[in-house]
Amino acid sequence: MDRIPALAMPMLGRPAANALTDGYWAAARDRRLVVQECSDCGAHRHPPTAVCYRCGSRRWGWGEVSGGGSVFTYVWIDSPMHESLAAIVPYNVCVIELDGTQGDPVRLVSNVIGVDRDTLRIGLPVQVGFAAVDNGALMLPVFRLLDTV
Amino acid sequence: MRNDVAVVGVGHTTYGKRGELAERGTFALATEAIAAACADAGIAPRDVDGYSGFADEAIQPAALATAFGAPRLRYAGMVWGGGGGGVVGALVNASMAIVTGHADYVVVHRALCMEGESGRFGQQMLHTAASGRLAPAAAFSASYGLFTPAQVFGLATRRHMHLYGTTIDHFAEVAINARLMAATNPHARFRDPITMRDHHDSRLIADPMRLLDCCMESDGAAAVVLTSAQRARDLRRPAVLLRAAVMGSPYRYGSLGAPESDYASSGQRQVGEDLFRQADVRPDEIDAAMIYDHFTPMVLMALEDYGFCAKGEAGPFVAEGNLRIGGSLPTNTHGGHLAESYIHGMTHIIEAVHQLRGTARNQVAQANLVAVCGAGGVSPTSGCILERAR
Repeated sequence: MDRIPALAMPMLGRPAANALTDGYWAAARDRRLVVQECSDCGAHRHPPTAVCYRCGSRRWGWGEVSGGGSVFTYVWIDSPMHESLAAIVPYNVCVIELDGTQGDPVRLVSNVIGVDRDTLRIGLPVQVGFAAVDNGALMLPVFRLLDTV
Repeated sequence: MRNDVAVVGVGHTTYGKRGELAERGTFALATEAIAAACADAGIAPRDVDGYSGFADEAIQPAALATAFGAPRLRYAGMVWGGGGGGVVGALVNASMAIVTGHADYVVVHRALCMEGESGRFGQQMLHTAASGRLAPAAAFSASYGLFTPAQVFGLATRRHMHLYGTTIDHFAEVAINARLMAATNPHARFRDPITMRDHHDSRLIADPMRLLDCCMESDGAAAVVLTSAQRARDLRRPAVLLRAAVMGSPYRYGSLGAPESDYASSGQRQVGEDLFRQADVRPDEIDAAMIYDHFTPMVLMALEDYGFCAKGEAGPFVAEGNLRIGGSLPTNTHGGHLAESYIHGMTHIIEAVHQLRGTARNQVAQANLVAVCGAGGVSPTSGCILERAR
């Protein structure tokens, strides 16, 4: 999948290590998008939790998804809440609904890169890419409009 | 439980902008508001034997009981989670303590100094992120620059606009109404009227939300006293009865996996359904509504979730003037959080009591039933219907 060399978003922190979420970030370093998949009923879920909301199972693994999806909703953040964000406003934060998952819809918070306020709309198809942070020590899943990939 | 419990006293301090009352401190503000509420009820603060909190209230019941010299403390409870969504949930817990005999007089209060001790309510996530370490769950949103309630609620708001054609003109009407109501309220921080143009010209915070869609952080304290309806008959003020009060939320609300119809909502559908069933009244029988107005679109969605209008029709409902005095549902007749002060829903309970005592500044004629709706957009949330004693 696409690798996006420079990230506009100045991350204020780094994800803390955690048994539930480390696999997500490890897969992203390999430029793969994964979500939790129940080993018993197959329902996908995100963000990670210890138990399946559908069948109650505590057994789970990582299910790789295509990285395709659509814009479910978005907001343009015009007022920076931190000085480090002042240079990049306005930026969007989107909720992306992923294609090809089982169970309740699986949605991720992310940024859609390379889009302006007149173009971004609910329902537009998007594809995941990975933005390198800290020289690639962290790869952050972000999205681009499908017709610009 | 219907009408077994009454709100018998209300009180508050002066209200100021964020940081204005910081030197006085939250504890002093809390004791002032509680003493005022007790005086209103005609009891002494030492008679209070129960405290019911919400939103992770930091002032401990034991400290208050000790400060007031209360001979005994019998109940100390807290609504678990939901921030301002729990404000009416604190009445739920108080009423359960009273009807089961665990306490005689229960206080619900909130005291805020938004710069300093209690911190800025909406910025915990930002401060955590800026510390350099993102909690595992927060990393999935904070990594993308999503930190504050205005931003998070903007996501649901955008979805509502997409599905139902809600517009910023509809948001503006909520803010305009709040200022009109506040014009007669000497305690209100914002008493000047605003126009649709003023709203649209105010700066974007998190598009689609503008400055005038957001309430302003405030310093101050407010308190109410509850007791049994039986004891209330011997007290100073006409009792205002708790006809019904509930808390909760629908399936997976507040998560990214919420069903589509509830995602574009304030998360109050479950509470609305339970509330009117428990109260055995219909939404169109409610004479006025006090709706937690931290953000204007949340008021629109609350109107739908509580059934004051059909799903998706809150925009046209407010555009018809229904929130105003003389409308079908006069709303936030004190000015609400948008114009009076932001004390996390407590002021809405106080105003409902004034309406039902007949002492409101924007009095609704013959108000018998008033709904109070806790904060939307969070889980759990809560709501109640208060009734004039006959």
